[in-house]
Amino acid sequence: MPEQPPPPLKKPFEGIRVADFAWVGVGPLVSKYLADHGAEVIRIESSTYPETLRRAGPFVDDVPDLDGSGYFANFNSSKLGVTVNFKHPKGPDLVRRLLAHCDVVTESYTPGTMARFGFDYESVRQLRPDVIMISMPLYGQTGPWAHYAGYGHVLQAAAGFNHFTGWEDGPPIGTGVAYTDFLVPHFAAIALIAALDYRRRTGEGQYIDFSQFEAAIHGLWTAILDWTVNGHEQTRLGNHDLEAAPHNAYRCRDGRWVVIACETEKHWEGLKAALGRPEWCDMERMRRRWQRINEQKEIDRHLTFWFEDFTRLPSEAALQVEEGVEGPPVRKYTTEEVVRLFQSFGVPCGIVQSPEEMHADPQLAHRRHYWKLEHPRMGLRTYDSPAFKLSKTPAELTRPAPLLGEHNEYVFKQVVGLSDEEFVNLMAEGVFE
Amino acid sequence: MNPERPPVPLPHPSGPLAGYRVLDLADEKGQLGARLLAELGADVIKVEPPRDGDPGRQHAPFFRNEAGTETSLFWWTMNAGKRSITLQLRLEAGRELFHRLVAISDIIIETTMPGEAAALGLDYPTIERINPSAILVSITGFGQDGPYARWHATDIVGAAMGGLMYLNGDPERGPVRTTVPQAYTQVNVQAMVGALVALYARGVNGGIGQHVDVSMQEAVANAMDNAQQTWDIRRVNASGPGLYRNSAGVRTARYLFETADGWVAALQAGGLIGPNANAIIDWLAEHGEARGLDSPEWRARLTAPQPLSPEDREYVEATMAAFCRTRKKEELVEEAQRRGAGWAPVLSPREIVENKQLAARDYWVRVAHEDIGQSFTYPGAPFRLSATPWQQRGRAPHLGEHNEEVYCGLLGLEPQELRRLRLRMVI
Repeated sequence: MPEQPPPPLKKPFEGIRVADFAWVGVGPLVSKYLADHGAEVIRIESSTYPETLRRAGPFVDDVPDLDGSGYFANFNSSKLGVTVNFKHPKGPDLVRRLLAHCDVVTESYTPGTMARFGFDYESVRQLRPDVIMISMPLYGQTGPWAHYAGYGHVLQAAAGFNHFTGWEDGPPIGTGVAYTDFLVPHFAAIALIAALDYRRRTGEGQYIDFSQFEAAIHGLWTAILDWTVNGHEQTRLGNHDLEAAPHNAYRCRDGRWVVIACETEKHWEGLKAALGRPEWCDMERMRRRWQRINEQKEIDRHLTFWFEDFTRLPSEAALQVEEGVEGPPVRKYTTEEVVRLFQSFGVPCGIVQSPEEMHADPQLAHRRHYWKLEHPRMGLRTYDSPAFKLSKTPAELTRPAPLLGEHNEYVFKQVVGLSDEEFVNLMAEGVFE
Repeated sequence: MNPERPPVPLPHPSGPLAGYRVLDLADEKGQLGARLLAELGADVIKVEPPRDGDPGRQHAPFFRNEAGTETSLFWWTMNAGKRSITLQLRLEAGRELFHRLVAISDIIIETTMPGEAAALGLDYPTIERINPSAILVSITGFGQDGPYARWHATDIVGAAMGGLMYLNGDPERGPVRTTVPQAYTQVNVQAMVGALVALYARGVNGGIGQHVDVSMQEAVANAMDNAQQTWDIRRVNASGPGLYRNSAGVRTARYLFETADGWVAALQAGGLIGPNANAIIDWLAEHGEARGLDSPEWRARLTAPQPLSPEDREYVEATMAAFCRTRKKEELVEEAQRRGAGWAPVLSPREIVENKQLAARDYWVRVAHEDIGQSFTYPGAPFRLSATPWQQRGRAPHLGEHNEEVYCGLLGLEPQELRRLRLRMVI
């Protein structure tokens, strides 16, 4: 008898409904994980006070459009969107009727905001005893900074990332992005999915008080213990490293930068071989890793010269005769060739890739990292996808980000159960704004 | 065994992941993530090669700067609350033992170069055959397949090839890495999201495990803010803005200012530019340091949606810079926040440890190192779950500290078998 084919696997979060009140980066990136893996995530917004990212570009042709922000779009793939005016007398009650049908509530308002509308955990639990709710403001629900305003771009300063980004003799410039917005959502997602699994096993929901600040500190590697245990404060080192040398970025002829990291003797031996064993790298004071760390400025100087002398533009010949130098022509490398050369000798290295290069990166293309989704206002656009590939229940970006209020009718009629008449009347009263 | 010795790891039966077992064979790309699972209640067993142990034990800095197998602060930070066993996967007897553990585990985390796992019995087909419910998390620089799959990558390579480094830095000096490794941090936490999605999927799909293939390059790419969309839509490559800030590829006002005692981060020239600028203009004017910005013309220009001319912007930034330079950062931030501007101080590790917000929330935990008779301050809960709280579970394990517990207690080996395995260098 032929074997029965196994039943198709369910998407991980199929059947889980999420009410997503969160704004900007952190919250939407948490619910994006759920949405891209099968949950029905409903962004709850209001056109009377549109979410920050809808007002931030990039916009097509630089024309601001609440439904045309690439920033908003990327963080909100696979989600539905509704609009409700919380300040309308009937608004909060309508939201509460929706919450009764939701398994998860996510929010990132200033502490106290949800309670003002009757959406706090204690209230929601009355409607849905097994609900899981996560609040994700900058600094948590309590404490003297609980009401502090800000964005990831400044939280990175409080959380230590400015201190650790920049040159040793320069200011704490920090990353060029709202860094913690792209670090802490993963911590929040870990907590939330662990809580969901616990609920799956026990039926019990719960509340998660998430402070972006407190999670971000876990990204500081050994810096905290070095202070609390040894009384030593680590600081920014440019592109150098506490434990490796050479460890830096070097400029190629075409203006691009290549990074090299020699953490082990094997890496260093590989680099020496790739360079053709120039005299300087076989000197006694370069023998051990700790010596090389002391000599790293010297090593950087040699490598900087090497990159100046031995890299070329793609338009230039690979074999070049050095002016005024006797002997055979010298082999020169394009930026890509340098990286392939060093990698072939086992040296960790790579190109500092621009957004444009990322878009064209063959590895990312092979992995289908960037998804292209057709958005009704923006056209075919690039969306990020998870860094992990699940072999049996992979992520699927099912739709582009919702337009403002795009799914009002579906959500309030099909999920909440309003009649046609109720829906039309509430709409006429301006509740769905 | 000394009966007074506290058990490590401390039990955590009320964690949301209590009852799951995790085998951690990871390097820097997975040890932090595995630790988070332990703090959520899973039994995490660190599998180390015999003799020297995990290479992570050699990472600086060290307790009192004395290198040794048990003194690495990297080890302490990343492996607190796990159990440790020694096991040689290069020997067949070691792989057999490992597979007996796989049979009773839920998640296995490994970081070998693609193609090298099979020789160690760590490849997914083998794991799946032994335990179809197991979730294998493979964390590598670029993923299991593709043209760069076998490239060598450390943190800075991930930061570079993942695009984040291009966005960091300044126009004169070029791109810069964040010194505390963020490519590693990113891939650790994103891999654990993948592991937990797979764990949840298993629960709703009749216990079917799977392979979770994680790329450090992709994890970093996901931290590029809106740079990728900015390229896609505007064809602009945002790059390192120094003290300034990029917004959708356009360099906007300076956001970092030096104070009498450090630096503050304050977007839009500290709020002097934007719809709510008046509150900040008033502040400077109250101290007689507005340098004319409190005139009706300036106020109108600063609150208008149109961008300022470069000269005007420089004047505004210089005004804010002068105001900050003579004042203390915490006082500046407190007053700016009172006036509705979202400033934050640039804090160092010491200042983070001394921070009053974290103290008020009782963030820090003391971890007993009974082996050296001291206790130390560690970071506290990254998330606070009401029903199933996070818990720090004690210091990092000594090399092979739990061999007996795991091999005899879990696998039912006799003590003399353990001795034989030790003599044969299997454990």
